Amino acid sequence: MKTKTCRLQLLTALMLTAIAWLSFKPAQQVIHIYLAGDSTMADKAKSARPEMGWGTRMTDFFDSTVVVVNKAQNGRSTKSFMAEGKWKEIIDVASAGDYVLIQFGHNDEVITKAAYTTEKDFQQNLLQMVKDVRNKKALPVLITPAARRKFDSLGHVVDTHLVYAELVRKVAKRNQVVLIDLAKDSQELLATFGEEESKLLFNHLKPGQNPNYPDGKTDDTHFNEFGARKMAQLVLKALRKSYADLDQRVVKSSWTK
Amino acid sequence: MRAMKKRKNRTYLLLSMCIFMLLTAAKDPVITVYLIGDSTVCDQDIKRYPVTGWGTPFADYLMNNVQVKNHAKGGRSTRTFIEENRWQPVADSLKAGDYVLVQFGHNDEAKEPQYAARYTSVPDYKRNLIRFINETRAKNAYPILVTPVSRRVFKLGKAQETHVAYTAAVIELGKEFQVPVIDLDRKSRLLYDQLGELKSKRLFMELDSAEHPIYPLGRSDNTHFNDYGARIIAEIVLNEIKVQQLPLANHVVNSHK
Repeated sequence: MKTKTCRLQLLTALMLTAIAWLSFKPAQQVIHIYLAGDSTMADKAKSARPEMGWGTRMTDFFDSTVVVVNKAQNGRSTKSFMAEGKWKEIIDVASAGDYVLIQFGHNDEVITKAAYTTEKDFQQNLLQMVKDVRNKKALPVLITPAARRKFDSLGHVVDTHLVYAELVRKVAKRNQVVLIDLAKDSQELLATFGEEESKLLFNHLKPGQNPNYPDGKTDDTHFNEFGARKMAQLVLKALRKSYADLDQRVVKSSWTK
Repeated sequence: MRAMKKRKNRTYLLLSMCIFMLLTAAKDPVITVYLIGDSTVCDQDIKRYPVTGWGTPFADYLMNNVQVKNHAKGGRSTRTFIEENRWQPVADSLKAGDYVLVQFGHNDEAKEPQYAARYTSVPDYKRNLIRFINETRAKNAYPILVTPVSRRVFKLGKAQETHVAYTAAVIELGKEFQVPVIDLDRKSRLLYDQLGELKSKRLFMELDSAEHPIYPLGRSDNTHFNDYGARIIAEIVLNEIKVQQLPLANHVVNSHK
């Protein structure tokens, strides 16, 4: 009789402990996703709308345990991003468990630009960035540059980042860095839209259509809000596959059809 | 002596700053543009993104001395908007020179039994719109009527009219009361026809399940716009303001270019 009561008491105590442990499980740590890159990723001034970088749309995907910090800037290459101290701003604050998404190439690869970075320097800079992130116990993610809208005479998408995208892949492979091949994924997306309809993703505006661009605009590099969202969706898809932790922090929604 | 001079200088500085602030305030009175309407106009909850009302991007293209207050609310008809005391606060805060853009119809016309609570007959719809017009004018503010933006319904490759009686009522009132009317119903239908049955889908909340985490089951909706569609519709409204030479055009960015 006595042992039975004892056993019951013990069982109750164990159960209570279990419940207490479950309910006092520490809340998920808040993490940051830092974005380092160029204009195709950057937040834009109001006067540039509807142009939009895909980094702007990354903020919509996660629950309150993720803070997206978009440090990408128009016109920047790995070289100028580092030289201007923008990279340091990220590294100074990044800490264990944070992610740093790195997408460069658009400006590195243009010889006529001041931001031009040689192939050798481009790889070195990417590697330096990876090392800096890892030193902070944060997670680097290398991203190949989002596609420009260019089709050949047969209606096939032309790869406009051939060399520099390949360099990103090379650095990622050699140093076991998670790679998001946005160059490839976005080219596939452009192919499904086709030459004509893919204009809907870029900052293409007829004269008089949009008050910010009275003379219209034909820009096959920079996205509008639609293209920015599509690019961000591609990046998210790849991120979820590579990181179970991030996948769990994606916003839960019960919206139905 | 020196201290006194310093104090005197500081007084002058303060005084001139006050005068400067008063002058600039008098020279540049801030006007407010109120938007009243339904889910196709309203600022949407970020948790529903990418669904977007056209009032949200509309606000991006007005000058900094204009304040846009988007009072539109999803699911509201003219009747429920008034009944829920959403109109009175707008009427009370109107100042001379302000604007009220009015777009209702989607919910007024809903005849299905589940929407009985919002249904408004055409005569009642007109009576409510007349109230908005009169009470706006009583404050020396300007009403602008907007016909309800079209749903996307195609028949034999042609965009169909979806708000027939309610759009006609708005146009009628516009003539009777000499209120400017933006015929967004017709203009948006012209756009869908121009884009065609398939391409016009890109403007709406048409998502497949793999696309956006907020809609894990996808979405098929020919009434509500996505971020891109909302901006295209806002552009139509902004252009009509310009084409009809409404005084509000002076407050649209780059309007004199």
